[in-house]
Amino acid sequence: MLKSVNRKVALFLAAVAILFIFLSFQLPSYPYTEVDADIVPKGLGFLLLICSILLFFNNQEETEAERKKREIPRDELLMLLAVFGIILVYIFLLELIGFVIMTILFIFFTTWFLGYKKLISNLAVSVTFSLVIYLLFSYLLQINLPAGILPI
Amino acid sequence: MKKVFVILTILTLLIVSACSSKSTGEDAGAEDKKWSPEKPIEVVAPAGPGGGWDTTARMVTQVFEEENLIDKRMPVVNKAGGGGAVGWAYIAGQKSSNHHLFVSSPPLILVPLNGQSQYSHEDFTPIANMIADYGAFAVKADSKWNTLTDLFEDMKTDPTKISVIGTSSPGSMDHMQFIKIAQAAGVDVKKVKYLSDPDGGGMTALLNGSVEVYSTGVAETVEQVRAGKIKVLGITAEERLEGEVLSDFPTTVEQGIDETFINWRGFFGPADMDPAAVEYYTAKFQELNDSGAWDEMRKKYGWNEMFITGDDYKDFLNKEREEMQVLLDELGLAK
Amino acid sequence: MEAFQGLMSGFQIAFSLSGIIFIFIGVFVGTFIGMMPGLGPISAIAIMIPVTYNMDPALALVMMAGVYYGAIFGGSTSSILLNAPGVAGTVATSFDGYPMAQQGKAGKALAIAAISSFVGGTISVVLLMMFSPLLASVAISFGPAEYFALMLLGLTAISSLSEGSTIKAFISAILGFMVVTIGIDSQTGTARFTFGNANLLEGIDFLVIALGLFALAEVCMLIFNRKDTSVSDNKNLGSMKLSKNDIKEMAGPMGRQSFLGFIIGVLPGAGATIASFIAYITEKKIAKNPEEFGKGSIKGVAAPETANNAATSGAFVPLLSLGIPGSGTTAVLLGAFLVLGIQPGPLLVQDHPDIFWGIIASMYVGNLFLLILNLPLVPYISKVLRIPRPMLISLVIIFSLIGVYALSFNTFDLYLLLAFGVIGFLMRIFSFPAPPFILAFILGGMMEQALRQTMTISNGNLYIFFTKPIALSLIILSLLSILFPIIKNRIKKPVG
Repeated sequence: MLKSVNRKVALFLAAVAILFIFLSFQLPSYPYTEVDADIVPKGLGFLLLICSILLFFNNQEETEAERKKREIPRDELLMLLAVFGIILVYIFLLELIGFVIMTILFIFFTTWFLGYKKLISNLAVSVTFSLVIYLLFSYLLQINLPAGILPI
Repeated sequence: MKKVFVILTILTLLIVSACSSKSTGEDAGAEDKKWSPEKPIEVVAPAGPGGGWDTTARMVTQVFEEENLIDKRMPVVNKAGGGGAVGWAYIAGQKSSNHHLFVSSPPLILVPLNGQSQYSHEDFTPIANMIADYGAFAVKADSKWNTLTDLFEDMKTDPTKISVIGTSSPGSMDHMQFIKIAQAAGVDVKKVKYLSDPDGGGMTALLNGSVEVYSTGVAETVEQVRAGKIKVLGITAEERLEGEVLSDFPTTVEQGIDETFINWRGFFGPADMDPAAVEYYTAKFQELNDSGAWDEMRKKYGWNEMFITGDDYKDFLNKEREEMQVLLDELGLAK
Repeated sequence: MEAFQGLMSGFQIAFSLSGIIFIFIGVFVGTFIGMMPGLGPISAIAIMIPVTYNMDPALALVMMAGVYYGAIFGGSTSSILLNAPGVAGTVATSFDGYPMAQQGKAGKALAIAAISSFVGGTISVVLLMMFSPLLASVAISFGPAEYFALMLLGLTAISSLSEGSTIKAFISAILGFMVVTIGIDSQTGTARFTFGNANLLEGIDFLVIALGLFALAEVCMLIFNRKDTSVSDNKNLGSMKLSKNDIKEMAGPMGRQSFLGFIIGVLPGAGATIASFIAYITEKKIAKNPEEFGKGSIKGVAAPETANNAATSGAFVPLLSLGIPGSGTTAVLLGAFLVLGIQPGPLLVQDHPDIFWGIIASMYVGNLFLLILNLPLVPYISKVLRIPRPMLISLVIIFSLIGVYALSFNTFDLYLLLAFGVIGFLMRIFSFPAPPFILAFILGGMMEQALRQTMTISNGNLYIFFTKPIALSLIILSLLSILFPIIKNRIKKPVG
């Protein structure tokens, strides 16, 4: 079982290496240089290919600690996916809706979602944090975070 | 229950803010032909903080605000990436906005020619050029060359022994300014060995003798010349510059090479900007150009005045592009 | 004698009331900026330039220099507490600082960082003061060939950054090197692996990688352990108590890395990040207990923190004595000189001895301020870890997002950050170490560039490396550092 996981990873890496080598061969050549732009990437691609082959045939036993790292309950994984989903939504809406509103919503909702149930202090933190950061950046540092639909 | 309350509050906030911003937009100046800004003007520097574009943008807005030439806020927004391409794409998305400006220089012509930006100066509204800078070609103080002609003669006989370093990548400014002058002097530009050091290691490489020539801006060379570490063989200006040390730099033209290179820097708006707004900004930049505060700023940075507006600016840019196109074609770098 | 007079006038500036006030403002802003992921000293100084426009140049520069070294000083905080390095120079600090904080010794880790930063900062200022004019020639002694050799030496450390499988460490490094090739190639202008996307032309920023592989990947682990309260319940979280043994253990790295860090900082382009990595690696190599590194070793915090602060002072050598900026931050600082009407260059020490020596003298005061400012804050800052896990997680995510967004104000970088978060997470569960990835990312780009520059200069002749004594000795040193462990193993085997 253990070996096969490492082997799967090795196969995946070999695929990455081959793709990378393929892309390196597509690079246009430049006439006025000794070492062109494609040399180093090609070298890296082949090195990765060699290393993934070595990994494939490596029979070094995985330690108990290493095995444990991979054992993640399904629920937890879904939780993680959900958080990444929320981050995606945040990024997508950041410039449309604006920093302040999105950040308040993000902190409040994610914190609640991860199991913090004190709504008042949650709300207080998310609002204060977002406003303080926004004002700090916009007025003190003159770095403009997206205002979005709020007229500040 | 509490949650519902929170959501309601936020919703109300959203609606109120959306309405208020709409109403201000529609009332103001619908009939008035004279245009003036209704909200803060976003000035985009298509690079990160600290570089030439960013500095110009921050200094221009600072003088505009301090001298009360424009009474709206002018926040500088950095849109870095792709040698300017990311910033230009952003402005291209603000079509016909009257509240966006951006600063640019020769890369606006070179980057699209290199095939790295789909937008060029024709996709924007040129408003005013403010500054000119010139290129300088420096060698070590103890080098055997004393004029550009000496250098180019040696380049003609054995180009493999001379390396030129600059900050920008091949096909961009430091490279092209050297190529432009070298070609006019009769050097086979295909044999010029050019290295790029984007982290600004050019001066170091020149001083420790790794390379022979450093192609850069005039300002970068002054102090090293004053200290006797390097000498400037030529600058790409038509006439000698004013100032201590600066006035000692020979121009390309006086060395019999009839070619110049201007590092111009000016302001542009998005495509289809309202002509009334263009008129407004042109007048404001004119005022800025004439102000004492801006003159002081120019002196501090060693920038030269180069004020062009309107159709003259467009013609200038078109001519610059034609010249660069020819050179890049020759090198086989144009895309 | 002249130098002495100059130094005296420098101290007069540094110890005048206004001098002290502006140094304080500088280091205060710097620490704060350093603690916030994504706010680097570059943007802070760029933003300060217009503000200082009409100020006395000496005071303005003393203040901006304070922002610079203050940011490196404060940068360790988020590395240690959140595994979110805000400044590139503090990535190596997180290797041991974060594990230490997770063991409930956050206060101790922060205190070690502050003390070693102070020691590194102060010793290096002494060196700066004594040797600055002498070292000017060292600063420019490195050409492309020498840089290539230096980067090579740095890369040989990959194997020592691995725990467990060496192959996995190498794969990790190759991947890091691959990522840095994305973008416009500096030597040819060819766009590599950008798939026509303008956002990728300038390559992927270091911070995207660091916050993705370290901060976001750690967030994933925190999500799994979100109910774990062992850290936040720890009563000694903010305790700064250091035993005599702890101090003894710190002394060696602090002494050595002050010098090494300073020398590396003197070289333009190398800087605090490389200094901190090399410090970490050398200390691990010479340590009697290298297996403790990566698990909360005191030396593992002290070494990089000493070195990055020492390197920051070192970076002032080329700037002040030659007018050559060695890094992005010193380039912006150079711009600040210009605005204030001071021409930085080889003649600065003659034309403006007050400014030259004023900045150096101010760094003594500044480092002292930083220590006084930071140490008493440690117990309070450590309490960040008392924040309930769910909230801490969302705040770390937002911090990372702001940090990356402030780089280019482009949401594309945020998607990239998320992608590297996923990569970092996968690397963790399949036991690929992240440090080799980031090391190769930092060194690889510079190494490739230096190699190709060298080849252009020599018209493709490798013989050039044999004509440069510094480059040659560095290459030999890197070969030795690869071969040495192998030979050591061979010799050991028959005996054991």
